[in-house]
Amino acid sequence: MNFPNLKAALINSQIWRSIFRSGIWKDTPRDRAGHVIGNLWLHLHPVRIRPRALQWTYTWGLGGISFLLFLILTVTGVFLMFYYRPTMELAYRDMKDLEFAITLGKLLRNSHRWAAQAMLVAVILHMIRVYLTGAYKKPREFNWCIGVLLLTLTLFLSFTGYLLPWDQLDIWAVTVGTNLAAATPFLGYEGPFSSLLGVHVANDVRFVLLGGTVVGENTLLRFYVLHCVFVPLVAGALIMLHFWRIRKDSFSAAPLALPGPRSSAEGAAAPLSSASDEEKVEVWPHLVLREYVAAGFTVLFILLWSILQNAPLEELANPTVTPNPSKAPWYFVGLQELLRYFDPWIAGVMIPNLIIVGLMAIPYVNPNPKGVGYYAWRESPFAIATFLFGILLWFVLIFIGYFCRGPNFAWYWPWESWLVHKAPPPPTWDLPLWAGALLLLFYFGFGILGPRFLQREISFKPAVIFYWIFAAAAGAAIYLFGFTAGQVAALFFFLFVYYLFGFLMPQRYLRDLSWPRYLTAMVFLLMMVGVVLKIGAMVGFNLHYILALPQYNFNI
Amino acid sequence: MDVTRRSFLWAGWAALVAFAVGNLAAAARFMFPNVIYEPSQKFNAGPAAEFPEGVSTQLTTAWRIWVVRKEGFLYALLARCTHLGCTPNWFSDQNRFRCPCHGSNFTPGGDVIAGPAPKPLWRCRVEVASTGDLMIDRAILENRPGLRERPPFVVSV
Repeated sequence: MNFPNLKAALINSQIWRSIFRSGIWKDTPRDRAGHVIGNLWLHLHPVRIRPRALQWTYTWGLGGISFLLFLILTVTGVFLMFYYRPTMELAYRDMKDLEFAITLGKLLRNSHRWAAQAMLVAVILHMIRVYLTGAYKKPREFNWCIGVLLLTLTLFLSFTGYLLPWDQLDIWAVTVGTNLAAATPFLGYEGPFSSLLGVHVANDVRFVLLGGTVVGENTLLRFYVLHCVFVPLVAGALIMLHFWRIRKDSFSAAPLALPGPRSSAEGAAAPLSSASDEEKVEVWPHLVLREYVAAGFTVLFILLWSILQNAPLEELANPTVTPNPSKAPWYFVGLQELLRYFDPWIAGVMIPNLIIVGLMAIPYVNPNPKGVGYYAWRESPFAIATFLFGILLWFVLIFIGYFCRGPNFAWYWPWESWLVHKAPPPPTWDLPLWAGALLLLFYFGFGILGPRFLQREISFKPAVIFYWIFAAAAGAAIYLFGFTAGQVAALFFFLFVYYLFGFLMPQRYLRDLSWPRYLTAMVFLLMMVGVVLKIGAMVGFNLHYILALPQYNFNI
Repeated sequence: MDVTRRSFLWAGWAALVAFAVGNLAAAARFMFPNVIYEPSQKFNAGPAAEFPEGVSTQLTTAWRIWVVRKEGFLYALLARCTHLGCTPNWFSDQNRFRCPCHGSNFTPGGDVIAGPAPKPLWRCRVEVASTGDLMIDRAILENRPGLRERPPFVVSV
């Protein structure tokens, strides 16, 4: 028996050649190109790519890992659907069956749950990586927006998915989540100004999400269809668009050449050296191999995690009794913590939407063409510092919500027992209407105009040192008036955040932008800093509302 | 009127857009059910005279209602936080309701004393039937001071 001959005969047979377009593999450049072009699965790739884009530390493979996790979720999800019936009576029982009565059911459910959480982590890290390497800049602005939408859809898939087991976590998370929809301005029955449009409990956005007025049978069915069919279809379409644009806008944004060596004093401005321009290498095998290695490790990781750790399942849903404390899954617990400080229409509707729109606005606001294709800390210090500050803020909120909140949502340190008795929270107070209105006008008025019209460059270090001297003097004075040390410290910290991100940095880096860009950037920046300030006002001084118009449900 | 080829095509495009918009509107309307099969919000809470003085939590798990009796009057608070709809817990030692979801606190009268809740707890319509039973209607609600202290949101016993 001659194996090579047999193999050649097989490959040259009509059947083989009708399925696979290439003949016997000779490992020529033509073969390698043909392998990418002639393969439905691989033809999304270019044929050749710069070696720089292949480095692990450049992409970390995060986009590909996110997509792989989406595929794992699709496959495990389809299998789970064979045993799951979305009714109030049966859903929880089917979960128990999956856990205890169905061979490998538990593993499948674990994989689905953990892959979902891993996908969120991967998508968030992918966004951070893309941002840090400037891969959102021209001509990739639109693809960045698609990416932001995909992040939103990933969160929405999680949200719709976690109602399905019908346990206590689900029903209360969805009760809270859909009551947020009820707080939408104009469109939700508890939102600002909705009474002016005749919106009531049985015709608002919450009603259409729930399919009724309470979380019930219709809700479960709606979330099931959204989770299993509607959102995955939309996400799939956007993923295709995302990939297509990556391909069209040139893969991974790796530049033709990196900036020259930073030996000169003005390192950032050094010209691109053509000497560092690299010969491209073939995608097969160099890139595809790396992709398969990343995929292999990801699958292994999810499998091990699913074997070692079971997905949580709480008690059967009870629509009258809320667990104490009741916490959202980790990726929403930051939002839950935010809801502690703001009215639902702000924390639950405005802020998430503004984050989405703000993220999408970044590439159109930032005109700096430099720093594409490598980690460009020096080329865009303000853009990167502000972005990382936002991300850090979000994860600090997650940390507080997850580790520092106990029964009655009171503050417990992570090392404290939840059995310790905590005093009830102190009473809150509102600013008078005129004072709140003036404060907001001043905050946004001065905040927008101040950095723009102070045309002289403020030197950085003296400005910061001056702040601390001034603050120490003011703090000493306030302390004498009877503020506690904690309140003075809060005042220092939160005013410093404003001074740095709301004034000093924009004054330095934004004041020369064109007006539309400047206005957009400043409004989003001031709102982000404002969130921090309002948290400080509530934590340090128990301020409930800056501006309260309860008759219209309009409270800030 | 002259119908040119161009204006005819414009009319065609306009019709197509109108059709698409109509489809979207129809799809949106389709998602609003006309009939919902939810239980009645009105129920019989038992003999009105038997509720103890102060806040009673015996109806909380079944109906999400606290019955509060004070100096010859009864009112029924809906045990639904006005912030985002969780069920707060009654702490008799602290004389307040505390919500487990975001930490809002309410007095036995329903007023917010701490936390993020924007408005007082709702009081339900109450009446005493001829049998002496307390009838509570969770669909008719009031929380404005002045109105909530008047019938039908309080009843004397």
